[in-house]
Amino acid sequence: MANENIKNTGQQKSPPPAETDAGARSISEALKISFLILKLIMIALVIFFLASGFKTIKTDERAIILRFGKIHGRGEARILKPRTWPYWVFPYPVDQFIKIPVEKTIDLNVDSFWYFQTEEEKLSSEKKKVPPDVPLNPLIDGYSLTRSEPYAENLRASGDSDYNILHSRWKLICQISDPESFFKNVFTQDIKSGEKYIDVIKRDLTSLLTDVVDSSVVTAMVNYTIDEAFEKGGTVSEHVKNLVQKQFDQMESGIRVVSVQRIDVTWPLQVDDAFQASISASQAKQTEINDARNYAQNTLNETAGPVAAELAAALHNKDANDAYLESLWSALAGKCREIISQAGAYRMKVVSDASANANYLTQILPEYQKRPQLVVQAIYKNAIAKILTKADEKILIEPAKSDKGSVIYIKVNRDPKLVNKPKEKTQE
Amino acid sequence: MKSIAVAILVVLVVIVLVMALISFQVRQTESALVTTFGKATRQITEPGLYFRWPPPIQQIYKFDSRLRVFEADLTETTTKGAVPIIVNTYVVWKIADPNKFLNSVGSTSAAEVKLHSQMNETQSNVIGQYSFSEFVNSDPKKIRIQEIQDKMLSSLQNSVREAYGMEVKALGIKQLKISADVSKDVFNRMRGERNTITEKTIAEGKAEAVAIRTQADAQKTELLAAAQARAKAIMGQGDAEAAKYYEMLQADPELAMFLRDVEVLPEILKDRSTYIINTDKDPFSLLREMPNLQPKK
Repeated sequence: MANENIKNTGQQKSPPPAETDAGARSISEALKISFLILKLIMIALVIFFLASGFKTIKTDERAIILRFGKIHGRGEARILKPRTWPYWVFPYPVDQFIKIPVEKTIDLNVDSFWYFQTEEEKLSSEKKKVPPDVPLNPLIDGYSLTRSEPYAENLRASGDSDYNILHSRWKLICQISDPESFFKNVFTQDIKSGEKYIDVIKRDLTSLLTDVVDSSVVTAMVNYTIDEAFEKGGTVSEHVKNLVQKQFDQMESGIRVVSVQRIDVTWPLQVDDAFQASISASQAKQTEINDARNYAQNTLNETAGPVAAELAAALHNKDANDAYLESLWSALAGKCREIISQAGAYRMKVVSDASANANYLTQILPEYQKRPQLVVQAIYKNAIAKILTKADEKILIEPAKSDKGSVIYIKVNRDPKLVNKPKEKTQE
Repeated sequence: MKSIAVAILVVLVVIVLVMALISFQVRQTESALVTTFGKATRQITEPGLYFRWPPPIQQIYKFDSRLRVFEADLTETTTKGAVPIIVNTYVVWKIADPNKFLNSVGSTSAAEVKLHSQMNETQSNVIGQYSFSEFVNSDPKKIRIQEIQDKMLSSLQNSVREAYGMEVKALGIKQLKISADVSKDVFNRMRGERNTITEKTIAEGKAEAVAIRTQADAQKTELLAAAQARAKAIMGQGDAEAAKYYEMLQADPELAMFLRDVEVLPEILKDRSTYIINTDKDPFSLLREMPNLQPKK
């Protein structure tokens, strides 16, 4: 009714044109649509705002939430682990979701203790040659000091410094073990768009890690002689690793050392000849000892076989029991076995000969008692025949017919067998 | 209804704007200093949300409180006993007292300048108290390099904390070197030591080899002697066993000895023998004439 009144009143005063009504309606419609679109955009923004709070963590990561800048949660709940459904956090500025790579290792090569090399020398596989009188330049040549051999101190006439110089190269492998401590205490630049946090960490930590390894190597190496540094590489690396870890712990860095490896080590190139000679001497020493051991082994094997050393030791051992000694004697070989075997053979022979002779006498005795002359003569002639059959030379002499007899000179060779040999062969 | 929603939105926007003006966050990695009309009125070292008066009443200065590394230059200094050494030291530090740091230092780069100066002084003072043989010594018990570093750390911590509001968490000697001229002397000594070791090694090798050979020869002699003794015992047993049969020879000892002679004589004369025999001996008499045999009646 009121609308109608207005309408009527309006019509009476100045009736609006039909175009104006249409325009107003259009504007009204446009506004409605605009509001609707705006509303939808706002709803979309709210949805986007809320959805942006969903976060996931990869298996090699851990995460912390900063709520108004402070790490959120208590105890172990402060460190978020990967799970099958996402985490939801309030978007910035309320919360910040910080993901920290904990499984990935940070590898760092440390060349601070290596001698200076040009790029060309680094690429070359040949060892650099340096004349003996060229000093090390402390500004460009890296090295560490090692203590001297204790006996070397006695060799010196004066109280000179007692240390040696050693070049070495190292590799540090570490990882983040305590994400909270690492995040709180270790400085890294903010991650820029397109960067990975692990790359930022590697870049920003290079200086710190290198310094810590350098310091640990300097501190550790003075405790070893140069020979120990070569021979006990594992011990030295472990020592350095412990010192590195100690420093990381002291800083509460949350970094764990996985390993410290000494990847290369050498004496100064200026003394290369002396060290090479020393190595050759060590090899010669080993060869000489090995030769002697071979000689000893062969000698004992030839003498008594594999049980030689054991038997020799047992002969000196007053506590060695008879059964044990007998077992060794029975396992004997070589020359000793031969001697024992010969003795055994002699024993058997002498017994069997005695037995045979006794039996022979017993058997022949009755016949001998009947015809002694004939039996003795037969045995005697058989024996002479046996002797002469085996003789190398037999010279028969016709007895002289005169009473005076005759003198015969016979040249008797000491070795009758040589007579039969050809003349040429004898001359040879 | 619409007007209520708009009102809420406006209120929210206003709240956000007001909060932005009157609050600030201090992150876990930061510390902060609040100044009121330029005067430091609050120092914040714990993270969280804090309120403030809007500028220009209060200003907020934030500092990154994480660890930073600073390396000094390679420096030549002298130990007790005036032995020159070249050292390079690094420190790990952080801002511990924002107020003091802002007033006395101001920035990280300025802090490093201060640190450099302090490190040089500390290095010189502490190293000057130790002789070079306490850095490196043939007797490991006399080495005090860790103690030297700890002392430098302690000294530096005290000086920079009080003066600059900085905390030094770690310090280490990352290079310990000698001058170029001294390195030549070291090489000569290393060469001499190595030559001594070489000669010693050769001599040890020879001595050890001789010892091994001698021991083997001695063991050989012992084993042979033991084997011969055992053999003699076995042979003795054989002779003893054989003697039991001699009783049987008592039946006719003369015949027994004859048989024994007949047995051993061919054995004795079996090699390298020449016999010169008259043909009047049997059986060679056959060579001279036919025997005159008559049948026995």
